[in-house]
Amino acid sequence: MRTSMRVAITGVGVVNAGIVGDSAALAAFLAAPRPAPGVGAGGVARVPSSALAGAIDVAEARRLSRVCQLSIAAAKLAVAESGVDAARGLGLVVGTEFGDLASTHVFADGFLERGPSGLSPLLFPNTVMNTMAATTAIAVGARELALTLNAPTVAGELAVARAAAAIASGQAPAVLAGGVDEIDPVVERALPALGFAADRLGEGAAFLMLEAYEIAQARGATILGQVAAAAWRSLPARPWGVGRRRRSRAIHTVLERAGIDAAHLGAVYSSASGDRRRDAWEAAVLAAALGPEAPPAATLARLLGRHAGLGVLRVAAAAWTARSGLLPAATEPSTVMTRVWPRPGLVHGLGRGGAHVALVVAGA
Amino acid sequence: MRRVVVTGLGAVTPHGIGVKAYWSGLASGACAIRPLSVIETDGFRCRIGGEVPEMVGGSTRRTRADRFALAAAEEALSDAGLGAGERDEAALVVGAVGGGMLEAEEWYWAASRGGDARLVPAVRSVLPCAHADTLAGRLRVRGPRHTVVTACSSGAVAVAEAATLIAEGVVDVAVAGGVDSITRICFMGFNALKLLDLAPCRPFDRDRRGMSIGEGAGFLVLEEAAAARARGARVYAELAGHGMTTDAYHITAPEPEGDGMVRAIRAALRAARVSPTAVTYVNAHGTGTPQNDRVEARALERVFGEGALLVSSTKSMIGHTMAAAGSLEAIATVLALGHGVVPPTANLETPDPDVHFDCVPRTPRDATLDCAISNSFGFGGQNVTLLFRRR
Repeated sequence: MRTSMRVAITGVGVVNAGIVGDSAALAAFLAAPRPAPGVGAGGVARVPSSALAGAIDVAEARRLSRVCQLSIAAAKLAVAESGVDAARGLGLVVGTEFGDLASTHVFADGFLERGPSGLSPLLFPNTVMNTMAATTAIAVGARELALTLNAPTVAGELAVARAAAAIASGQAPAVLAGGVDEIDPVVERALPALGFAADRLGEGAAFLMLEAYEIAQARGATILGQVAAAAWRSLPARPWGVGRRRRSRAIHTVLERAGIDAAHLGAVYSSASGDRRRDAWEAAVLAAALGPEAPPAATLARLLGRHAGLGVLRVAAAAWTARSGLLPAATEPSTVMTRVWPRPGLVHGLGRGGAHVALVVAGA
Repeated sequence: MRRVVVTGLGAVTPHGIGVKAYWSGLASGACAIRPLSVIETDGFRCRIGGEVPEMVGGSTRRTRADRFALAAAEEALSDAGLGAGERDEAALVVGAVGGGMLEAEEWYWAASRGGDARLVPAVRSVLPCAHADTLAGRLRVRGPRHTVVTACSSGAVAVAEAATLIAEGVVDVAVAGGVDSITRICFMGFNALKLLDLAPCRPFDRDRRGMSIGEGAGFLVLEEAAAARARGARVYAELAGHGMTTDAYHITAPEPEGDGMVRAIRAALRAARVSPTAVTYVNAHGTGTPQNDRVEARALERVFGEGALLVSSTKSMIGHTMAAAGSLEAIATVLALGHGVVPPTANLETPDPDVHFDCVPRTPRDATLDCAISNSFGFGGQNVTLLFRRR
């Protein structure tokens, strides 16, 4: 879908192991980054209960699963910062890799322990992956399109790309784009067996308020950045596998649409997360697309752990980098900062199985 | 605006494998809701559903749902006559809910009882996006790919998403549809919510008691109209418009006045530049629950008024096939337009006096149809309307 119309970012909401807050909290973290507790090969950077409790109303939280709480808390932060009135038309696109598997297990355990009488009708809706979008739509009053997108690794980037396309094609004047995941104990046990032992995993949610630039400007909103172009494609790979093809139609498309060549990108935010085979494939794809003049690259997975929210957070971070000319370095120690040209940057995601997303993100 | 047409259809349903078996069942008003055999039902009140009666071919290492999806998508691609080059550029959008949950449940049940169970295959296949990854690799469809999960409207949303990709000029061709196999979680969940009828469901009947679950896959090939014409493709119908809205009201119950449904239907009419009077058939969401059918009828009345509109429910014959429902009902709508035959609402004995439409009880109806809509609604108030026009 086209993003010929300029898409503004007017609000940010983040709840993860290292950040709770809006764009100011994200900027403070990026300016002095440090790894969140728990992040590292084979570990999970979890959101502390105290952080989540402080981000969501107690009465509201009582009715919600934890992953829905994460989603609503981050979404409300983004809405509040943007000042968008949902009554004027608000859409919602949520990316997730694992959904609410935790509730699914509890629901199944009820039956396995007590038979049909152990089944909770209240839990059942949570077993469907759109539960975060459904509860978040209710919480923020989003009544236009509400999509849940499921993809390995790149669900967050995909949600932002799809939401930006919805703005560009006029499907809604404002769309809240987010990613959310929690790591269920069963998933945590399974991932090493699937070959993800070195992956840095995290959990949490991040949301961006996207609006048509002219609408945001006309209402006097603070514009934090722009999605100048977005595209998603796929590269051949077996399910959960990595492929060999390096030619990226997604990167080519976004550079062309944004009217920028690789040499003039300020920075790249990639989806590298410690999964060595996938990271190597993504590096090869980026090298083939950007050539020898590729700008410095960063990934925040070493700081916060990979989850769908991180893909969204990277878009906000790329806007911050385009404004500030600062980039958290990709290599260890991860707290080193690199100075870059304050120019539009590329946000790139390549998942196992070949799901592939690229966005060009500019400053305000 | 680029126009979108339907050039290929594929289906796996409780009526059998293939579009021919599906239409044969629909056009004869046959009800394929029977006692379930794919899962254990001991101890539950409701023990029936729409089960695919024969297993499709393909590797038994694939999940049941993946095999449904592969068979239906392959049929649609073959029906459209798409070559390798067109497949390489085509978008793939899949609506899914259960993913490989049926097989993951087998692992989880066995593991919880201390049995031997292989974790990795279960986890590999459990996510809804597993279908799209399998289809893309197997069918060599390598354009934009995404998986949408909007509960019971997922299949229709996938079709709408693919239409948007074509209308916006991203691709000329897309393969889109939904898939679900019956799972224990789904069966137990709807039992726990007491939303299942003990007999085959009776949408729009005064005495309706709930829904029947089902399974299957429905895929459509959509193309940009000029590109389809240029390659001499057979065109079934035009997907002239669609509307997607959210109730933002309740996690399971529809908004009582049908506001979200009304907005979705009106958005589809607006996109297609069609007046309400041009629509003569509605393939309803029509689950058979007291609440859904009442609110859907209310929404239809608000848009179309009382009158000559024909309304029927595919779910009365194959059950609610979850993520496949929206795309299978889109196929039913396209075929109804092409054949000039409205499939009936099976099991409808005593029309609900509060539903002011002809709901085509039990017997198919010959009718000249130019425009028809297919409604799909999901948990979380996820409303979609697809509007098809005869070519």
